[in-house]
Amino acid sequence: MSLGSRIQAELRGDPVIWMIVALLATFSVVIVYSSTSTLAFQYHRDNIGFFLTKHLVLLGFGLFMTYVCYLMHPMRYSKMAATLFLLAIPLLMYTLALEGQNQGRRWIEIPYVGITFQTSDFARLALIIYLAKALSITEYIRDFNSAFMPIIVPVIIICGLIAPADLSTSALLFFTCMLMMFIGRVEMKYIALLIMCGIVVIATLIILADFEVFDGIIRRDTWIERFRDYNNNEGGYQVQQSMMAIASGGFIGLGPGNSLLRNSLPNPYNDFIFSTICEEYGLFGGMIIISLFLLLLFRVARLVTNSSKGFSAMLALGLTLSMVIQALTNMAVAVNLLPVTGLNLPLVSYGGTSLVFTCISFGIILSVSKNIEKLNLEGSSLMNKK
Amino acid sequence: MAKIINIKNEILIRVYIVGSVLVLFALLIIGQAIRIQVFDGEKWQQMRDALVLEEIPIQAERGNIFAADGSILATALPFFDIRFDPTIVEEEIFEENVDSLARCLASINIEKTEGGWKDYLERGRRGEMQGYKHLKIKNSVDFAELERIKKFPIFNQGNRYASGLIAEERFKREKPFNSLAHRTIGRVDTGRNINIGLEGYFNNELRGESGKRLMYRLAGGDWIPVGDLTQIEPQKGKDIVTTIDINLQDITHHALYDALERQNAAHGTAIVMEVKTGAIRAIANLQQNDRGGYGELFNFGIGWRYEPGSTYKLASIMALLEDGHIELDNLIEIDSGKYQFYEETLVDSGKESFVSDTVSIRRAFEISSNVGMAKLINHFYGKNKRSAERFIQRLQSFYLHLPTGVEIKGEQKPYIKQAYNKEDLWSGTTLPWMAIGYESLMTPLQLLTLYNTVANDGLMMKPHLVSELQLFGEQVKKFPPTVVTRRIASKETIAAAKELLEGVVLRGTAAHLQSNQYRFAGKTGTAQANYHKIRGNEIHHVASFVGYFPAENPVYSCIVVVNDPKVSIYGGDVAGPVFREIADRCFETKTAFYDSMQQQSISNNNHSLLRTKELPDKNIGYRKDFESIISHLGLQHRPPTSEEWTAIVADTDSLNLQRRTVPDKQVPNVVGMGLRDAIYILENRGLEVSVQGAGKIVRQSIIPGTRIRGQQIKIYLG
Repeated sequence: MSLGSRIQAELRGDPVIWMIVALLATFSVVIVYSSTSTLAFQYHRDNIGFFLTKHLVLLGFGLFMTYVCYLMHPMRYSKMAATLFLLAIPLLMYTLALEGQNQGRRWIEIPYVGITFQTSDFARLALIIYLAKALSITEYIRDFNSAFMPIIVPVIIICGLIAPADLSTSALLFFTCMLMMFIGRVEMKYIALLIMCGIVVIATLIILADFEVFDGIIRRDTWIERFRDYNNNEGGYQVQQSMMAIASGGFIGLGPGNSLLRNSLPNPYNDFIFSTICEEYGLFGGMIIISLFLLLLFRVARLVTNSSKGFSAMLALGLTLSMVIQALTNMAVAVNLLPVTGLNLPLVSYGGTSLVFTCISFGIILSVSKNIEKLNLEGSSLMNKK
Repeated sequence: MAKIINIKNEILIRVYIVGSVLVLFALLIIGQAIRIQVFDGEKWQQMRDALVLEEIPIQAERGNIFAADGSILATALPFFDIRFDPTIVEEEIFEENVDSLARCLASINIEKTEGGWKDYLERGRRGEMQGYKHLKIKNSVDFAELERIKKFPIFNQGNRYASGLIAEERFKREKPFNSLAHRTIGRVDTGRNINIGLEGYFNNELRGESGKRLMYRLAGGDWIPVGDLTQIEPQKGKDIVTTIDINLQDITHHALYDALERQNAAHGTAIVMEVKTGAIRAIANLQQNDRGGYGELFNFGIGWRYEPGSTYKLASIMALLEDGHIELDNLIEIDSGKYQFYEETLVDSGKESFVSDTVSIRRAFEISSNVGMAKLINHFYGKNKRSAERFIQRLQSFYLHLPTGVEIKGEQKPYIKQAYNKEDLWSGTTLPWMAIGYESLMTPLQLLTLYNTVANDGLMMKPHLVSELQLFGEQVKKFPPTVVTRRIASKETIAAAKELLEGVVLRGTAAHLQSNQYRFAGKTGTAQANYHKIRGNEIHHVASFVGYFPAENPVYSCIVVVNDPKVSIYGGDVAGPVFREIADRCFETKTAFYDSMQQQSISNNNHSLLRTKELPDKNIGYRKDFESIISHLGLQHRPPTSEEWTAIVADTDSLNLQRRTVPDKQVPNVVGMGLRDAIYILENRGLEVSVQGAGKIVRQSIIPGTRIRGQQIKIYLG
């Protein structure tokens, strides 16, 4: 058995998606190594590879999780949906109640392991799984009862709990859910209702930010500042750095490891990694990254074409949409199309634990693709028998 | 089945709608990236270059300033400001060594105690203060101390990226001779736009070419050198060799200092110039400071103009001579030193003028008669505009209207009035007052240049302070002495001028300054300043003396100007002694002068050139000792006596040795004797001597003439 067929046998599912995972992961290693080198120089000069090693460990663990999730049957996720969703709510509340690290209250520490993780990553996964299930139960959602309680309220609760500390993740998730509802043929008026509810929640948060109790919980000032920076053409310090990086890269870039702006660019290894990519690999490199994400979107859309409207297709689509929108948002920030969000580039950024959740998402998508392939295979053989 | 397909299709359509929107968005991102690169590319790249890479200048080592003999007048010493980034070193090393480092730091910088240092370092480590990555340890540390500091715990961990120790090098200008010629050496401070003295004038040569090092910006605001990009090495600045003779400068400085202190004067300047070359060998500028002392605060010799007064008469009389109007032996009425020009009365200051009516022009110059000089000029040049113009032209032919071009920025231009010019407020009294050095302004150096030219037989040399530029000890540029003009006046005029200046010292206002060691020539000046009482200031005086020495074969010319002396106002009393001291010290220390000194003492044998005040008076001692001293000095004494003991009495022009009888049987008078002579005499006569005090004997306990019977005698010295 050749290696290729061996891999094919072991890793079923859409080979293109496997390839996308592999390419993004490879790209990630190279770029992270380059963009953390000055950090390494500054803080751990004895061990230039410190950050790379850390990244490799996480990425390795993440890919392992991909494989594990890939092995599970999609319907297992359907069964977990309610549990995960109910677990997410207290986790998010607990996170908000904690004294924040860095900026905002987003992380909690896993006991005994010492690793912190962002609870919104978990909640996002949980909500998408839950929503995929909710949408697949009812064929066509036309009445208030089947729309409001099972769909709108959960979305509003999760997004509302994420929003105070991390508005951009919340908005991303909200938007993903909206698209899922749209694709899942929920009537437009309920989508409009969802939007209305979202606006109400945001307005409430802005008002609540004035109360001392919420001081340091709701990051209203940061939001205002970022919108102000965005409105003034040049986009503020971070975005200016980013545009300098993109401009200095040209079409083919300065070459691996030659980034100049990684030294002044804030977070060149996560939030602004797209700028580093454009600087070192040029517009060409940037376009490859965009293409990989768009390709992912089309491969998953193809799964939907091949499968009937069901839980697994909605799940794969929801996860993919969430990833692709996040990727595009990250890039749009780098080119000053959107205000600074703090969203990283899925699978590429040096992103700590959120990398693992991205890998899990990929694992679920691959699991779905494997399953749909199998169904189609069975379906077609059934057809053939007839 | 159809329904399912419909639903499926509907879903697919919706998926494609969403997909298309996202593709559009992706295209928009690519478009925006292209826009950034293509349309705004240049702008962003420029911004990037300005931000990320910085060409940090590397300061070049500034050149030295040398005295003529190679002594260093100004040099650049490297100093270091020590900073520390406490966040760099590893936790264990920091924790283990912070106590001992604090102890070391307390030993080199007592600003903080050991505990204070420890606290400071730890707070810095925790980032609890402004600029904690750049903690100040100590400023202005020299190289030796830096090497010691590098051996401290933590600091000894390696380079700055390992130990956190940052040594910022800078150069400090040091002047080893402190205040000597301080102002002329000058100072440069680009930050405050200070560019004075030779440092300022030769700044371009001295500063060298600063190098450039391309530096990267690190996150957090640090800079690191870009290794593979070329670096421009700094080029050391050139050294300048000045004409300053450091010994002569020392002499000049202290002679002037003492005189200013004696006179409690406001400020003064003294310049010594080499006659043959125009090289300035010494230039001292002293101004009274707040604490009552004197410091080199302003270059009065070059940057300050004054009305020179009588010293300007040399120019006036040279004009008269050059135009053939007078001969030195012509007689002139000086009207007992008082004369009315229009509504203003001109008064002489010397006593002799009051008792003389008619004197020779030579004599009028020697006694510095204002009336005499003013009348002469007014008589020959005061007729009309044309004649006045001729006088001005004559002064201009002596270069009295031009700056010397000495290498100091801020040399003042002389001010000389144009004939009958309303703007210059020309009036009927202008010409007579110009004749005696008023209504004109010039710097001491400019006036000295005229005297130097006379001393140099009319050959005018440009005054200069710098003889060459060097680099690593090699000459790179020479500034040879520059001739301004071959001859400013006829041979006869120059000869007459020299004769007049010698006469001033021999018989005139500077007669009391003369030395029997050598001859010099010069002119006193006693000028009123601020006689118009401008700005409500008091009228004060400017006393000056300008001349050259030795008279026969001039080596140096020298000017001394003292502004606002309080004890005496006369140039001969205030500035003259400074000149004399400088000249004396030159003769003492400069072998070059011995020859001319020998010649002079022979030629002076017929003259008596003693200064009465300097002669020993009423000294009593052993005759043979006196005789050998007096003859060694080439002095004369009279009458020769055969007595063993003599008293020396100074006469106006010679020494008298008077007989001193020392009886054998009676107590002799020993007052006025030295201790050795007195003890010799008294003990030989059987007296027991006890002594108190030091110096010459001023009192004795037994009256002279008392019979000697082995008494005790006490002598008091004082």
